[in-house]
Formats: sequence, structure tokens, C-alpha cells
Amino acid sequence: MRTQTYELNMGPQHPSTHGVLRVILELDGETVIRAKPVVGYLHRGIEKICESKSYPQVLPYADRLDYLHSMGNALGLCQTVEKLMGVEVPERAEYIRVIMAELSRIASHQIFLGSLVGECGALTGFVFAIRDRERILDLFDMACGARMTFHYIRYGGVVQDLPEGWVEACRKFLDDFDGMMETYRNLLVGNEILQARLKGIAVLSAERALAMSASGGVLRASGVNYDVRKAEPYGIYNRFDFDVPLGTVGDSWDRMMVRLGEMEQAARIVRQALDQMPEGPVMAKVPKLIKPPPGEIYHHVENSKGDLGYYLVSDGSPKPYRLHVRRPAFVNLQLLDELCRGYLLADVVPILGTLDPVLGEVDC
Amino acid sequence: MYGKGLLTGLGITLREFFRKKATERYPEVRPKLTERFRGGKLALEPEKCIACGLCSLNCPNGSIRLVTVKDEAGKRKLSEYEYDAGACMYCNLCIENCPQKCIRWDKKFDFAGYDRKHLIIDCIAVANAKKAAEREGGAETHE
Amino acid sequence: MPNDDILLRIGASLRELFAGVLPGPDAVDVAMYFVALIACVALIFTNAVILILAERKVAGFMQSRLGPHRLGPYGMFQTVADVIKLLTKEDYRPQGVDKWVWAMAPVVLFVPPVMVYAVLPFGKNLVPVDLNIGIFYFVAVSSVATIAFLMAGWGSNNKYSVIGGMRAVAQMVSYEIPLVFSILGVVMLTGSLQTSVIVEKQSGIWFILLQPVAFVIYLIAAAAETNRMPFDLVEGESEIIAGPFTEYSGMRWAMFFLAEYASLFAVSAIASTLFLGGWHGPSFLPGWVWFLGKTYVMIFVFMWVRWTFPRLRVDQLMALCWKYLIPVSLANILITGIGIFAYRAMGG
Ligand code: SF4
Ligand code: SF4
Repeated sequence: MRTQTYELNMGPQHPSTHGVLRVILELDGETVIRAKPVVGYLHRGIEKICESKSYPQVLPYADRLDYLHSMGNALGLCQTVEKLMGVEVPERAEYIRVIMAELSRIASHQIFLGSLVGECGALTGFVFAIRDRERILDLFDMACGARMTFHYIRYGGVVQDLPEGWVEACRKFLDDFDGMMETYRNLLVGNEILQARLKGIAVLSAERALAMSASGGVLRASGVNYDVRKAEPYGIYNRFDFDVPLGTVGDSWDRMMVRLGEMEQAARIVRQALDQMPEGPVMAKVPKLIKPPPGEIYHHVENSKGDLGYYLVSDGSPKPYRLHVRRPAFVNLQLLDELCRGYLLADVVPILGTLDPVLGEVDC
Repeated sequence: MYGKGLLTGLGITLREFFRKKATERYPEVRPKLTERFRGGKLALEPEKCIACGLCSLNCPNGSIRLVTVKDEAGKRKLSEYEYDAGACMYCNLCIENCPQKCIRWDKKFDFAGYDRKHLIIDCIAVANAKKAAEREGGAETHE
Repeated sequence: MPNDDILLRIGASLRELFAGVLPGPDAVDVAMYFVALIACVALIFTNAVILILAERKVAGFMQSRLGPHRLGPYGMFQTVADVIKLLTKEDYRPQGVDKWVWAMAPVVLFVPPVMVYAVLPFGKNLVPVDLNIGIFYFVAVSSVATIAFLMAGWGSNNKYSVIGGMRAVAQMVSYEIPLVFSILGVVMLTGSLQTSVIVEKQSGIWFILLQPVAFVIYLIAAAAETNRMPFDLVEGESEIIAGPFTEYSGMRWAMFFLAEYASLFAVSAIASTLFLGGWHGPSFLPGWVWFLGKTYVMIFVFMWVRWTFPRLRVDQLMALCWKYLIPVSLANILITGIGIFAYRAMGG
């Protein structure tokens, strides 16, 4: 019998392509032969926009890259500029930054977990994750007045000190966090159907992961111990005691479990940071007009999607000459085709989910 | 045993069935806004404003448009002050850079309209209308 | 006691009324069938409205939400408003669909559940048409729905729809087998295919106690037959948008919904007939109340499962059916047979 493959256009309007990703699938029945991601539907030209903005004006755009881990993005950009200018950030600000970045990581992974299981059909898990994430957003709202694009971390520190009662509210959240994780474990991780859906699917070997320059949870699920926070500790990350969860197989399941582990580690870091946080100023003395000396610099941080890098060229003017962002979600998305081949149509969506692309970052 | 995870999951959803719900009945029950909440429209106090233009200058998106005139004494004065909420990214830079601290968020965040024009707000007119209403009724009114 | 039953009394007085105006007992019978048909259709519609609301409420409550709560007390009129909206929507037919096949599919899908209602034993002497092969009839009729899914999928001229339609056929044809086998255990115990007789035989002990394995298999197979979570691959919204329903809108789309809930009610009613003792229950309530109550409990179980589990994958779905459910249900039949034989041999 002669069979024929056919093309199926998934997205950009599709219930589960994480925004506006378009995937052109070549299918043989339900088996995927090729999956070609088409990006650019959310392209805003942020890198170019930044060239025409002054440094303070550039910062809000960093929030809009990976809008699920805004704090981490802003932290990266601020540290890049500070490195070039040689600014010392006050102790307290450093701690606040770490707390915010790690809380943001938890929130981002909650979305990851929720959307992944939601795409597998367990909508209740999705709602639970979103509901719990709301608690973190409340904390952010208290600290900076925004729930999504915070613009809280600034060059030289953070814009405002934590408000009264914030630390207690954060501790309260951390106390409840264990219960949340317990719920996820019971409802989702223990669920045999979800295990059957994810285990052994889309195995990524450590060699391939490295060759495709994957980073973040995708890389660590394949067993490569690389976390920028450990490998090249930035800020004050060397002061905290935390583990880097690693996968053994590199399948979709490992990619999920690594993220779950990271959530717990992030909570651990936040607990330590809250205990160690000193009093003091939260903003270094930075000139009103930020003019980094001419030169170029590369700085990278570990955000929830992976290794986020900023390459900044300054010509000494108040505007960046060139700002390039190494967006981990974009790089990780390259793996989609390779991982999907040979699996079923129903696997494409969870595989995409475990790569955890955020289209704001992919398209930039 | 196979199926144990399924049963635990069923237990969790059943427990949730009887728990308190997280839904906020929005228009009737208004959310409690935090003190630092950034949202709604910019509210200007025209008397305090010195027409320095720093807010507009610092805005990344050009969502503040102001026109100044010189009065008889040769002092700069505001004649127009327009805020475009449609282009605003709520970064707070305008407020932070205002030397007079004469702009703030009005925190009335639900102002959706049928036309983009509704998002452009003439802040001086709004401030004057508010003052007039205060003079008349004494009580604060909602636009 | 049956005469206390309000529904029976209405039936009896209607019969008297018809006997007064119609010639001959045959005409009266036909008229009574019509009454039953109208009652069934009315039940399906009101029930679907209630069930859609119930599903949204259950989903909401399990997800820490309130579900619909704006229209009327507890959002009771939400579905009514939805129906009105759907009725007034433009009847849109996408270009390139196979006109007749596409338009017929929702209607064809709606037929089997209505026909199934004919043999549901709502109460003692309250079976619309008490066929002596009632259960067999249920099995035969409900498999017609497969054709409707295929029609919708094929006629829509959309790749997502075709995939969904194909999945529907594969899934429903396969799961028919464990469904029938699980019913067979009960039929062996009663020796009858007549729904009223099966219920009658459960006056002592409910068959769920004698046939627990069959009950579980029935639940799984019935969930698959009605395309409900965790077997809703047919519409699996995260993969194939809405499967065969992708190209439908307005009232045509609502027909699919109606049919889904009608068949959900049907399989739940059959479950309470076969395993939960049908209309039997303490006599302070009429039998049909017990029957409906048990049916709604079954429906709640289906909803509960739906809002807890993720969905299976196509190959796993098939593996579950052919590798587990069918062997287990066959073994169940064998054990039932041995049990019956032993019981007889002991002189029971
Ligand atoms: S909040 Fe930011 S974007 Fe909005 S008007 Fe002020 S400076 Fe401009
Ligand atoms: S920065 Fe303040 S004082 Fe200056 S023009 Fe703007 S509102 Fe007026």
C-alpha cells in the first residue's frame, strides 16, 4: 500500500503552542516525521529598540523578554551594566534581588508545570499551579506595585526597600509552599497516566543537548551539571547552599522533575536569604545619567529557561550601542524538531511544554 | 500498586471540592490594591507642576505629551498635558523623575473602552473636573 | 405501592384519556409510545441543560473556582443564556465542507442517545419500551454514534477533524468490546437481556457486589465510549483543537454537546441499571427518584474523573483496551460462569 505524508499547520492560533508559536508538522498518520517551528509572530525588535533608548529606559524592556521570569531578566541586565560601570551594589539590595529572582523562578516553573499538565489534559493541575503562583504575584505586587512587568531591580540596587510586613508575608508563603508541592506531587507526579505520557518520551542525550547548546532544565535533565549560579556564581549566589537537581534519562519526565526540584531549591535559597538579609540601603550611588565607559561586556545569569546572556557594547553615550540577548528559550526551541521525530502528534505538545518556550523571549 | 496515584489524585480533587474557593467576585468585590500599586491612569496636580518636561523626557514610550507656554512673567506654564495609557508600559519612570512629585497613579484600573481614543487622557481637564466636583459636592466622585 | 407513584398515575390517566378518543388498543399503544418519546426528548434537553451547568460547577469547585455564578442564583441560568446565544448565532458553513455529510453529522449523533432512552428502566413499570433484548439494543444502538463522528470528521474537510474522526472510530469500535463483555457478566447472572428483569433480580443484592470487576471495566469502557476524560482523544483540545467539532459553530456545535451529555446520562443510567440496583431503594421515595439519584451519582463520578486525570495517548488507549481490559473482562466472564455453575451444582 502506498502511503503519503501530509502537513499539519499547528499554530500560531492553537490552544497550546505557548502563545503564538507556529509549528509545521509533517505527519505520517499520527507519527511526526518533521516538526518545523516558525518563530517571529511576537517579534517586537527589542534589541533594536534598546539602541535608541537611554539605559534606564532600556530596563523595562528586559521585563518583557521572558515575561514569566521578569525579575531574573532585569537582574541580568542590571548586573551587565553594573559590571561595565564598576558599581558596587549594597548588601541588602543583593539579597532582595536574589529573593525576587528565586521567587520569580518558582512562579515561572509553576506556569511550566501547569501548562505542561494542562496540555496533557489535567486542567485542574493547571488551575492549582496558577492559583498558587498568584501568591507570589501578590508578594511582588506588595514590593513594587506590579504583578507582571515589575521594573523593580534597577542599576545599582532595587528601586524601593521592601515594604513593612513583606518579609513576614514571604515567610508565610514559604510555609505554605511545602503544601503546594505536596499537592502537585500527589495530583500530578504520582499520576500514572501522566507518567505514561511523559516517561521515555523524547529522550535527549547529554551529547546532543550540549551540541545543540541547550541550557537550563533541558540540559540538566540530560544529566549535565551546569547551572550558571554554580558554575560562575554571580551576585551573591556563592553564599547560599543549594543543590542542582539533575535528571538521569533526559526524557520529558526528567525535564519536568528537574523543574520541580528547582522550585524546591529556589524556596531553599529564599529561606536562607531571608535569614541572612542585613539592614541597610538598597540603592548604590549611581549617577542620574547612566553613561557606561566605552567597551563591551558579556554577562550571563541562570534564569528559569536557562542560560540568559547579555552582550552589551557601549560607546560611552547614554544609549547602548548594541545590546544582544542570548535567549535560552530560543536556543532550546531548536531541539523541537529533533525531539519530536518519530513520536505521535499527541506528544508534540508535551514535548514543546517541557522545552518551556516563552514566546516573548523566543521572538524577542 | 498501579492506580494508587490515580486514587490519591481523586482524593485531592474531592477535598478541593469542599474547600474554600479562590474566586474573587470581581466587579462586586473590588480587589485590595497595594500601596505601591501601579495602574490606572496618571493623575496630575496642575498647580504643582513646573512644566519641566522631565516626565515626558524619561518616558520610554513617549506616552506623555505636554505643551508649555510662557506666561506674562516669562515663567513656563503647562498648557496641555496628555497621557496615552495605550502606549504606557507602567514603568513608573515618569513618576520617579518628577521633581515636584505632582503625578501619581489614580489606581482606577478598569477603564476599558471601545476606542483607542478613550485611552488618551487630558490630565489637566481631569484634574479641573475633579476640583470642580469637589467644590460642589465636597465628596469625591467617580468621573 | 406502584399506584402511589405520580408518574405512573399520569401514565394511567393518559392511557384512559387516549382510550376514550382513539379506536382500538393498538392506537392507544402507539399514542403512549409517542408520549414516551416526547418525554424522553424533553428529559434529554432539560437534563443536558442541568448537566452542562453541573459539569461547569463541578469543574469549578474542584479547581478552587466557583464556576458560573453571575446569572441567577448560583449561576443557574447560565446554560439557558448560552443556549439562547447559540441559537441566535449565525449558521455558518465553512467553505469546502461536504455539505450533506457535514450537516447531517450532528443530527445523526443525536439519534442513538434518544433511542437508548427507550429502554431505560426509570422505575417499576416505568420503562418506555420494555424490550426483551433491551441491553442488546443499547449496545447496538450506541455504536451508531461512531458513524456520526466519522461523518463530522470526514465532512469537515479539515485535517484536525479527520484525525479526530479517525481516532473516534478506532476508540469507539475497540471499547465496544470490553463494554459488552462487562455487561455479559451481569446478563449471565440474570439470564435475561430485559432491563426491567435485570433490575428486578437485584432486589436482594446489587450486582456491583457480585461483579465489581465488571463494574470497573464498564466504567472505563463507558468513559471511552462517551469520549470523556481520560479518553477524550477525539476532541483532545490541546492537540487537535476540537477534533471533529472544529468546523462547527452555533447550534450545530451545541448539538454535539447535547449528544455528549445525553449519552453521558445514558451510560450512567445503564450503569445504575446493571450494577446499582436501578429503582430499588428504601420505599420512602418513589423508584424513579432512586434511579435518577443513582444515575446522577454515576455522572458525578464521571465528572470527578474528568477533572482529575490527564488524557491518555492514542497508542496507550489502544493498549489499555486490547492488552488489559479485554483479557480481564474475558477472565471475569469465565469466573462468573464457574461461579454460576458451582452455585447450581451446590443446588442453589
Ligand atoms: S509609566 Fe512609564 S511608560 Fe507610562 S507614562 Fe510613565 S514613563 Fe511613560
Ligand atoms: S516631571 Fe512633574 S513637574 Fe515636570 S512636567 Fe512632568 S509632571 Fe510637571
